Amino acid sequence: MAEDLKLERKDQILAAKDLPTLPKVLDEVSRLVKDPDSSTEQIAKLIAMDQVLSAKVLKMVNSPIYGFPGRIGSIHHALVLLGFNVLRGVIVSTSVMDIMNQTMVGLWEHSVGCALASSTVARQCGLKDVEDISVAGLLHDLGKVVTSVQLPELKTGVEALVKTQDKSYLEAEKAVMGFGHDRVNAWLADHWKLPPPIKEGMSYHHKPQLARLYPEVACCVHLGDFLVRVYEYGSGGDDNVPYLEPDALKKLKLKPADLEAVLDELSEKFLDLADLSFT
Amino acid sequence: MNADSCRLQRPQRVYLLSADAGLKDALSALWGDGHLEITHFERGRGAIEVLFNELPDLLIVDHDLPDMPGLDVVNLVKSENVYRQLPVILAIREESLDQGADWCSAEVDDILILPSSAARMKVRIFLTITRASRAFDANPLSKLPGNTSIIQRIQEMIDRREDFALAYADLDYFKSFNDKYGFSRGDEVLMMSARIIVNTIRGFTGVRSFVGHVGGDDFVFILPPDKIELACQRIVENFDSIVPHFYDEEDRARGFIQSTDREGNMRTFPLMAISIAVVLNVNGRLQHYGEASQIAMTLKKKAKENPKSCYVLDKRLS
Repeated sequence: MAEDLKLERKDQILAAKDLPTLPKVLDEVSRLVKDPDSSTEQIAKLIAMDQVLSAKVLKMVNSPIYGFPGRIGSIHHALVLLGFNVLRGVIVSTSVMDIMNQTMVGLWEHSVGCALASSTVARQCGLKDVEDISVAGLLHDLGKVVTSVQLPELKTGVEALVKTQDKSYLEAEKAVMGFGHDRVNAWLADHWKLPPPIKEGMSYHHKPQLARLYPEVACCVHLGDFLVRVYEYGSGGDDNVPYLEPDALKKLKLKPADLEAVLDELSEKFLDLADLSFT
Repeated sequence: MNADSCRLQRPQRVYLLSADAGLKDALSALWGDGHLEITHFERGRGAIEVLFNELPDLLIVDHDLPDMPGLDVVNLVKSENVYRQLPVILAIREESLDQGADWCSAEVDDILILPSSAARMKVRIFLTITRASRAFDANPLSKLPGNTSIIQRIQEMIDRREDFALAYADLDYFKSFNDKYGFSRGDEVLMMSARIIVNTIRGFTGVRSFVGHVGGDDFVFILPPDKIELACQRIVENFDSIVPHFYDEEDRARGFIQSTDREGNMRTFPLMAISIAVVLNVNGRLQHYGEASQIAMTLKKKAKENPKSCYVLDKRLS
């Protein structure tokens, strides 16, 4: 693909202003923000279920305006540092695009599921900063959302390819656009100055063996993505279970018995999550 | 215009440098009853010495002075850091605007186009004065109110015999962090601390509260006495959970940093913590701001004995 075409598409993608979000989450967050008795934890929990709101909140707190770019990866910390007034502003300015919501519902579930699975893996491995890993899991497919909002005509092409040629969404993206959502994630993370661990998780979740700085984050998200597909929770845009990179298990030092523990824990959590429907 | 919307808090001392006597009369008439105490100079040179010895609240300089360009006077004043905060309005005629003045180097705060209506002049002057007072005392890093505003607020509450809790917060081991990581990383921590304090205090809605930044790693906040303990708890909790993210990975994992102490020896220092000393003023026990800060300093020593984040309440007055 010609370099200048790629650059042009990158610019189009980074011009993203109106990302879709789920109206039910938005309503609930607005209600909690207005209620003086609600706690930051309650609100953080809710925001953490929506990748677009999460991305916006993290983008804002890591912007140079606040004076500590690239430091904050936890939604709860972001809310403490931003305060309710700013959060209210973020919510008000978050426009909801109904049509997008319909096509993104499966992806939303897939993303929340991946956040859950990635953090469960992280906890099983005894890693620190489980919340960063959860956020990286939540945002791992944000590139798909942003691409389809900014370049809708390409999205149609990608979807057609997935259907007719049984390609994975990532392969189809590469065939149509010349790059995948993992690359878009890296652009977005840089553009929004997200902390490096989250960026690595977002941009290397398909190739965790290539992550240099925070390989364990990328491995957790990779495994999380795989597991949520295995459980068939939500949809990542295609019906394939992605290839599980053996290196990821090795890097995380996960033995089969550990993996079983993760699977058990997840099957319970997915049941809980299925009850919590926002659509 | 609402008559009260441009009410000045106190009389303002204004130096007017202009050969135009009509301008002086127009200014005097704006508020009436001496709210602008105008000292009028017809020439630039004579005014400068007076100006350097005694600063007014506002300087209005005519662009067309008989002995020197008005902008030269402005630049002379503004090139000295001690005079810089003085708000300056340049009075200029419409036709002079086109004459290629170097506005980039002219540090005027506002302009007044002559001739001007009284209403417009009044609003312009009022806004310049209030803008200057806002900017003057803000901490340049956090933009929170600084010492002058802090003292003013505390004394005001003491004078009204209002019950309040006054908390002084500062960071333990901030200096060693700054020494090791450099001041720009230090500033990040100060910004983070300011945000935590501000948001925690704002979380208490429907009460009178205040947050100020004394300077460096020293902050002040005020809340009603019954809210203060919860606020301290929340600040400590949030600070402790967020501050590790400002360290490099390996220092964070170790839980301490190595840096040089005041004597130049290599030493280990724990991760930063926040210490809060709270002075309570109930039933009008405090008379003066100085008492509050003195009690706070004693309490702070106590809080500092604990290397972890903590708060100490002034039990004697509660």
